[in-house]
Amino acid sequence: MKFVCMKCESFMEFQKVENPAEQSLGVSFACLTCGAKVAMVTNPGETAMVQALGVKIGGRDTVATPMELIRENLKESDGVRSPVVTATVQQEMLKAEMAKMAAGGEGGVPAASGCPFSSMVAKMQGGTATASASVNAVPMTWTQEAKERIEKVPSFMRPMIEMGIENYARKNGITTISPEVMDASKNDMGEVVWSKEAESRLDNIPSFIRPMARKEIERIAKEKGLTEITDALMEETKSKFIGMGY
Amino acid sequence: MTEEKSLKDILKKIKFSDKAQVMKQLVDQSIQVKVRMGRIRHKIVVMSGKGGVGKSTTTANLALAFARAGHKVGVLDVDLNGPCIPKMLGVSGSFEILPEGAVPPVGPYGIKVASMDFFLTEKNTPVQWKGPMELSPIWLGMFEMNVIREFLADILWGELDYLIADLPPGASADKPPVIAGFLPELDGAIVVSTPSEVAKVVVRKSIVYARDIGIKVLGLVENMSGAICPTCHTPVPMFSDGCEDIATDLNIPLLAKIPFDAQIAQSSDRGILLPLSHPTTKLFDGMVTQIESLL
Repeated sequence: MKFVCMKCESFMEFQKVENPAEQSLGVSFACLTCGAKVAMVTNPGETAMVQALGVKIGGRDTVATPMELIRENLKESDGVRSPVVTATVQQEMLKAEMAKMAAGGEGGVPAASGCPFSSMVAKMQGGTATASASVNAVPMTWTQEAKERIEKVPSFMRPMIEMGIENYARKNGITTISPEVMDASKNDMGEVVWSKEAESRLDNIPSFIRPMARKEIERIAKEKGLTEITDALMEETKSKFIGMGY
Repeated sequence: MTEEKSLKDILKKIKFSDKAQVMKQLVDQSIQVKVRMGRIRHKIVVMSGKGGVGKSTTTANLALAFARAGHKVGVLDVDLNGPCIPKMLGVSGSFEILPEGAVPPVGPYGIKVASMDFFLTEKNTPVQWKGPMELSPIWLGMFEMNVIREFLADILWGELDYLIADLPPGASADKPPVIAGFLPELDGAIVVSTPSEVAKVVVRKSIVYARDIGIKVLGLVENMSGAICPTCHTPVPMFSDGCEDIATDLNIPLLAKIPFDAQIAQSSDRGILLPLSHPTTKLFDGMVTQIESLL
């Protein structure tokens, strides 16, 4: 749903979402030209419909965990069982919360340590407060370029990819994640190499799905036992991405 | 006085930016389904316009037959409110949630199974969702659609040769298009009917409906095709005709006629596999050969 400022003939911009009443969402829009504001308020049925989409209005600042919609919306009762959530997933959820609290507006990339939840994390992992120190022993710093690059990865893949990069960095005594470190981590995982022609062809795919397309093409290359992605392979896999500008 | 422009004219010239990021998340969700399903060679649904004809039994036995033939198989129990595939396959357990997805329980021959049943521990517990049930017509359909999306996208199916989806009973008109929408590369549908005239009337409509929404109908299975005498094993017809008329009229292969056999019913109820030598086991093995030739 979009709101149009008829006076300024432009779309109104999303401002915020809030809960003005029980089972109600308030979504606010404003015209940046004339300052006119409007708030859309949903009734319980409409609120449930929005929640049924499994999206967060205004974007996600915590990554969607697998089967989140089902787990969060199944009515609890004695006969209902929640699936086992691994400590790693719990950590990721906590890390995202910490990033929200401690990073002050920098979305998407976990903050360094100083974790107010370390004892909770340790307990979840069956350890002690001091044991938790080993969980985040080496704090990682991400450069601005690296942050911008990881932001392009679809949200559901980001935690996995971040973990892989940080693990590589720790293994090699690196504490700052830069785009070069990100590239090196790919090679370390036995990743395939991209030819220049293949890279420039990948640039034709819309940016928001480019990382996904890259992963898929690399998977196909590995399946074929290839170590380099060439223009020929791109041509061969074209049909998977037709309609996406590829 | 300035002439007021029409909304239509205004919309033609202004550009939208998705600051609320709803579209981006919806696109991400679709991509996630596409990526996960991209690792599965064939996707088949088992459906019928009529309830109680044996869709789940057909799904379970078809999955076993594909697995016996050496294929990697997954079964998706789309009957969210009446899940029974785990019971039929003798599978229990729970999903394990990892960062990269949910690990499904595994059944016989390594068949991966996804079902709402894994969220339920008591046989009397229904699937109930939080939300204003008095307003459920507004949101419940969309919610169930996204539950199916999560089953497709969030489960670590891995690389499979066949994913078989058991659709819910009756003329649930919303589920086939939902599946078709999420799985544009769906290979086709297996339709199940009994020889009852009442069932056939409804099943005909569901076949036409499936075709109208772009689902290829691979074949028809006639279930409860007569009874087998437990003493002398003579087939005893229970209906006057079979399903050959549907197959002929709608130009689809009749894949098999499965008799009503107490052993089949009991094996499904107890989650025990039929013996390999059982005639029905061989019928399903034959179906696999036919389906493979159709794909």
